[in-house]
Amino acid sequence: MGKSSKKNKVILAPPLPPEVDDEDIIVSDEDVDFVEENREHVHLITGLNRKALDKVVTRVPDHDEDKVELLYEERERKRRAALALKPKDDDDLEVDPVDALPVKTLQGELLYRTAKRARSEDKAKGAESKSDDKDADAKQSSQKECKGRSNKKEDSKLQNVQRPLEIPKEKLHSVVLEEVKEELSADELFEKKKAQLAELGMAMLEDPESNIRSLNDLLIICNDTDQRVVKLAIMSLLAVFRDIIPSYRIRQLTEKELAVEVSKEVKKTRYYEYTLIRSYKAYLQKLISLEKQPYFYLVAVRCLCSLLDAAPHFNHRESLLASVVKNLSSSNDVARKLCSEAIRSLFRNEGKHRGEATVEAVRLISASVKLNDCQLHPDVIEVCLSLKFDEDLGKDESKEEKLKPKKNKRYQNRDVTKPSEKKKIKKELLSKARQEVHADLRAVSFTLDPKEKKMIQRETLAALFETYFRILKHSMNTSNSRYKATSVFPGGSHPLLAPCLEGLGKFSHLIDLDFMSELIACLKKLSGYTDHQGEIPPDNTLSVSERLQCCIVAFKVWRSNLEALNVDLQDFFVQFYNLILEYRPDRDRGEVLADALKTLLWEGKQQDMLRAAAFIKRLATFALSFGSAEAIAALITLKHLLQKNTKCRNMLENDAGGGSLSSLVAKYDPEAKDPYLSGALATVLWELSLLQKHYDETVSGMASNILSMANLNATQNPVQLSSSNPLEAYKDLSMGRELSKPTHKVSQTLKSKRKRRSKEFVALSPDVLEKADCTVGEDELREKLQNHFVVLRGISENERLRTELNHALSSINMYKEYNKQKKESKKSKKKVAKA
Amino acid sequence: MAKKLGKKARKFAHKHLQGGAKRSRKLRSQFNRRTRKDGKGREDDNRLDGDGGSEETRRNDPTMNMNDDVATLANCLEFPEDENELDGDLSDSDGYLSEDLECVYYSDSDDDNVMKECIVQDDLDEQNNEMRLAVKKQKKKLKKLLDKDPKFANFLEKWQLELVNYESKEDSDEQDEMDSVDNGVNSGDKDPPSDKILTSKTISEWCQLVLDEPKAPALRNLLNAFRDACQFGLNSNSLSMQRLQSTEVFYQIISFVLSKADNIFRALLEISDDDKGKLMNQRNGKKWQDIEPLIKSYLRNSLDLISQLTDNQILTYVLTRLRTSAVYFSAYPSTSRRLLKILIRLWASGDQNLSLSSFLMIREVVSLLPDCLDFCLTKTYNAYLSSSKIVDNRNIENIDFILNCLVELYSLDIQKAGERAVISVGQLSAILRQASKTKGKEDLLKIDNWQYINCINLWVRFICVNYKDCHNLHLLFSSVVQIIRGVAHLLPGMRYLPLRLKLAHMLNELSNCSQMFFPVPSLIFGSLEFREIPPKEQTEKGKTHFSSLLKVPRNMLKSRDFQEQCVLSAIEVLSAHFFQWSYHVSFPEVATIPLILLKRLQEQTTIESLRRPLKRMIDQVSENRDFVQRKREVVSFSPNDASSVESFLQEEEMNGDASFTQFYASVAKSRQSRGRKLV
Repeated sequence: MGKSSKKNKVILAPPLPPEVDDEDIIVSDEDVDFVEENREHVHLITGLNRKALDKVVTRVPDHDEDKVELLYEERERKRRAALALKPKDDDDLEVDPVDALPVKTLQGELLYRTAKRARSEDKAKGAESKSDDKDADAKQSSQKECKGRSNKKEDSKLQNVQRPLEIPKEKLHSVVLEEVKEELSADELFEKKKAQLAELGMAMLEDPESNIRSLNDLLIICNDTDQRVVKLAIMSLLAVFRDIIPSYRIRQLTEKELAVEVSKEVKKTRYYEYTLIRSYKAYLQKLISLEKQPYFYLVAVRCLCSLLDAAPHFNHRESLLASVVKNLSSSNDVARKLCSEAIRSLFRNEGKHRGEATVEAVRLISASVKLNDCQLHPDVIEVCLSLKFDEDLGKDESKEEKLKPKKNKRYQNRDVTKPSEKKKIKKELLSKARQEVHADLRAVSFTLDPKEKKMIQRETLAALFETYFRILKHSMNTSNSRYKATSVFPGGSHPLLAPCLEGLGKFSHLIDLDFMSELIACLKKLSGYTDHQGEIPPDNTLSVSERLQCCIVAFKVWRSNLEALNVDLQDFFVQFYNLILEYRPDRDRGEVLADALKTLLWEGKQQDMLRAAAFIKRLATFALSFGSAEAIAALITLKHLLQKNTKCRNMLENDAGGGSLSSLVAKYDPEAKDPYLSGALATVLWELSLLQKHYDETVSGMASNILSMANLNATQNPVQLSSSNPLEAYKDLSMGRELSKPTHKVSQTLKSKRKRRSKEFVALSPDVLEKADCTVGEDELREKLQNHFVVLRGISENERLRTELNHALSSINMYKEYNKQKKESKKSKKKVAKA
Repeated sequence: MAKKLGKKARKFAHKHLQGGAKRSRKLRSQFNRRTRKDGKGREDDNRLDGDGGSEETRRNDPTMNMNDDVATLANCLEFPEDENELDGDLSDSDGYLSEDLECVYYSDSDDDNVMKECIVQDDLDEQNNEMRLAVKKQKKKLKKLLDKDPKFANFLEKWQLELVNYESKEDSDEQDEMDSVDNGVNSGDKDPPSDKILTSKTISEWCQLVLDEPKAPALRNLLNAFRDACQFGLNSNSLSMQRLQSTEVFYQIISFVLSKADNIFRALLEISDDDKGKLMNQRNGKKWQDIEPLIKSYLRNSLDLISQLTDNQILTYVLTRLRTSAVYFSAYPSTSRRLLKILIRLWASGDQNLSLSSFLMIREVVSLLPDCLDFCLTKTYNAYLSSSKIVDNRNIENIDFILNCLVELYSLDIQKAGERAVISVGQLSAILRQASKTKGKEDLLKIDNWQYINCINLWVRFICVNYKDCHNLHLLFSSVVQIIRGVAHLLPGMRYLPLRLKLAHMLNELSNCSQMFFPVPSLIFGSLEFREIPPKEQTEKGKTHFSSLLKVPRNMLKSRDFQEQCVLSAIEVLSAHFFQWSYHVSFPEVATIPLILLKRLQEQTTIESLRRPLKRMIDQVSENRDFVQRKREVVSFSPNDASSVESFLQEEEMNGDASFTQFYASVAKSRQSRGRKLV
């Protein structure tokens, strides 16, 4: 670049007028006027600016604005064909303006391109001069693109410099440049391009309005052959766009608006906006196409996510969203994480885009789930957990609707009573105007009125639940083993089910009552409940965690709808009772189990006594076989049940004779499938006595605490050890948490109670020690010792001989040396003699 | 052949007989840092036993621990060793005792055929013969040259003189680095003993003299002979080479001195066996003063002998003999240190008998010399860690043995051991936390590692042994339990089943000693799950026992063999757990969930060979459950009556004749035999 500009400078030097120096320093308004008058000087100005690239950064903003104006005016003048210096040039170019296009899309190296670009620019200018009328409107046409680009080039100083008067000379130039370019190493080129990117980017950030056309330059660099350059280019564009994208959406101008004459200022702004949108679109397309290449994949995804995060309100959001949502299920962990984070932030910061993007995103997710038959990565659904809805969304809807007609009626009545037609018209006009103003205001200020907001949220919710229900249905239909092997995503054959259930649990209060019974039935089936007792459906491929989640969701739905639902959840209890036994610490998620304990048992109100007793017994047994975290969750639940169901406290005591409470089943059956038939009331909670010996103090303390209830009245409760619920207690004791706790220093010294006599063995068994006294037979010993001796002697002998041998050898070698010396001494003697 | 090489011999063999020596060195030179080495030898050493050689540098620089994961783990677990040591006790005097001239040297003609007597047994002799020929040839050549040019003789002489000067300079440099013991050989021989050849007759005569009268002056001569025998081969120019000519003499001296010296000394000191206190008191007495040089000579030379010998059996023999004299070592702390170093090396060498005898010796020395305990604890601990780097079917028993020895040593002084235990457990815990925080592969590899597991095992065993005697072990106890649970938590999945089984065993042990309840079954429920076996069974059966694995290789994961071992090991662990609580009032509940799983597995399994053990287990557990249930139906106390719960079925437990007790015994037995079969 540097070389070329130097060369150009050499060429241009002679025709330079003397004013050049002045322009370089400070440009006052008078100067501008002056320049306007002398058109040719404009080129010189720009040319000089190009040379002094460093000064670009320090330029004063109004200067740039002036320059833009200058350019506009320059164009005007061109149209008038007032060019004095190069009329031929223009004519030539006018002949085939189409040629300009292929030149621009060339992907040759930069130097080469600049040479050609300079030419194309001229051509474009010619074209532009012809089609200037069309320029006024903002329609997108290829010609316009040409113009845009050429304009930009005019602004960017490089190209203007290359405005040689004779074409042949220029051609010569390009040949020379090509040669030079070939000599340049790839690294130098890379460095240069990097510098160019930096310059362009800085200029853009410095003053976007006047440098808006640099966007095109950057976009062209995106087509570079060097992948590193492309990467850098799209990154710089990202930074630029993030910075210059306005906080409003740019609207397409209507025909009417286009027809109206506008001031220069407006025109300028329109041009700016138009260029911005066009390049933004081109950039997005570039990103989406790059995304398909593995080398650029991560960069492209990162750019897309970053753009979505920065400008969810801006034009072309649709393609941006579609691409990001598509990548939510990417197999690349990093990309997936980026995308899900972008979508989450989209959901969280609805203020940025008035919730419209949320609806679109959820709809896209829904479509993608449908398209892929629910075989996607769980992250796709998990992001929906970040959605936020107003609490009263689901419920007040009907009430409001009821209210509205009333109001309307009142209004109508009032209208009827209005006497004056004129007034009415006037009022209508007024209200219309007011509405318009309001609409405008809203459009600007981004605030939604509650009604609109509600509508958007409702749509979001509908799309969300559609997705959820689709997943549930899918899980039900394919619970036979068809999908077992094909799944590539974590979470078994139903990767989406777990986050879907979680989501249903979270948004349970928003579910429409009409769906409720169906949903519950669906959950019941999914939880693995069958009407045939004592038979585990073998084909149920849902994991224990998922089945537990089904139970949890069912209860949450039921409870969040004020428990008014006429749904029998008994079956879920039965299912849960059995699922407790199916739990495996490492396979299943302990949190889910603890959550289930909390939701089903701990939070519930008074339980049926038989059922409570059955659960109490089972939980106690459960606590004996599983880790301390599970045990404490079970014990807390157990205690809670004992507190609520005072009659069950009899289980704490060994009442000889079966106790006062006789149940249907006299003997306890630990393996019963139905809590009502287990006969738990007839048993005693012996487990607690063993749990008192539990190594974990929390568990043993809790067991003792529960046992102390036996001595209390039915109304009394023992001292509360902790108020946490099963889930919290579980998390608190779980291994991950425990390991993150700081270590307490074990600094105390150990003291032995008694001094052990040194003869005593503690760890070694006596039969091992017996072996110690085995002695070697005398003959064997003799032989081995003698062998040892022989070897030692052999070695010594060997060593001795070796030194001897070496000595002899070296002595012989010395003979040669000796001879040499002898000869030398002879020679020297001879020399001496000769001398 | 290479196995029989001594210290000096090793160096030699390494220089000239490539290959053979390497094997033996790899086995045991790890801890023998004190061998004399020239520069090249040291370099080679580092290359040979990579972890041994760079040990020091790594220890000094803890940041350098990315060399290789296993070695680094050892490094972070090891205790820092103090390499400085003094060995001044015994070596301040010269090697020889002044001899009484009355003792006659006999010469007997039998020994003339010494050279022929030795058996041509290895390539060394062949090589020697070849070399002899070569020497002859070269000398002839040289002679010819000398004859041809008499002036050359002068030249040669001059050159040789130079060479000698140069060499002696180098030698003296080297001398400084050498063991002070070796210095005694060349320097300071104020009273060089006669260089008469020791004959078989002389020795037997002397022996007779000494046996008749312990105070006889022949003892000195005999001990000098012993010295020569022990130093034989250490230095090719030394007197001992000349004095000892026959294998018979060598054997005679060594066997006699080793077997009789202790008794003789005791007789001289007039103390009876096993009366250590008396010996200690006598330390300053006149008798001790008189006899001290003799003992000193004896001990020092035995030490040399031990460090020279390479045959495990002889070593065992020597150590057994020497053990009776261990008490004398207590008079020389720094020599004891040297002895301990050698002993620890032998202890970790892998030979069961040698290990045992060296351990007993270590224990003896350490209990007599408490000052050495710290040194010994560090050394043995580090030796244990480095020998437990790799565990396979062959060394698994040995590692267990070493572990037990270590626990013995650590139990000698609970307070000192406790400090170390706290440090070591702290390190284990820190590694675990780091891994839990990052979940990085490298960090996890530090846990999924024999050294780590063996280290936990050590402290588990230590706690178990000392739990009853020590009242404030519980903090250490809970840290260890946390580590065990943490490891199980961080390494989930079927592949780590062998590791889990080990952890479960540890928990069972801890539970046994502390009488606390541990929910052991939760660790091994995974192995009781029914898994389908692919119809086409791999033909090659990986016959690796779980005990020598931490992680099951992937290809084995679906094999029938794996399933079998899974279930059988699970039964072992469960039965150990059940056995502990088999007399507890809530045994039926303890067994409930495992029993359900066992029954289900029995129904589902397709492996015929598992049916029987499963059924047996189920029957036994059910029987015991019914037994306890029957018993507790008639009692009247409630679960909160702790003392009654304790006394429940106490009597039966004392008798130990319940069927489950017997069942457990048989399970444990079959486990042992199974393990042995595979070894």
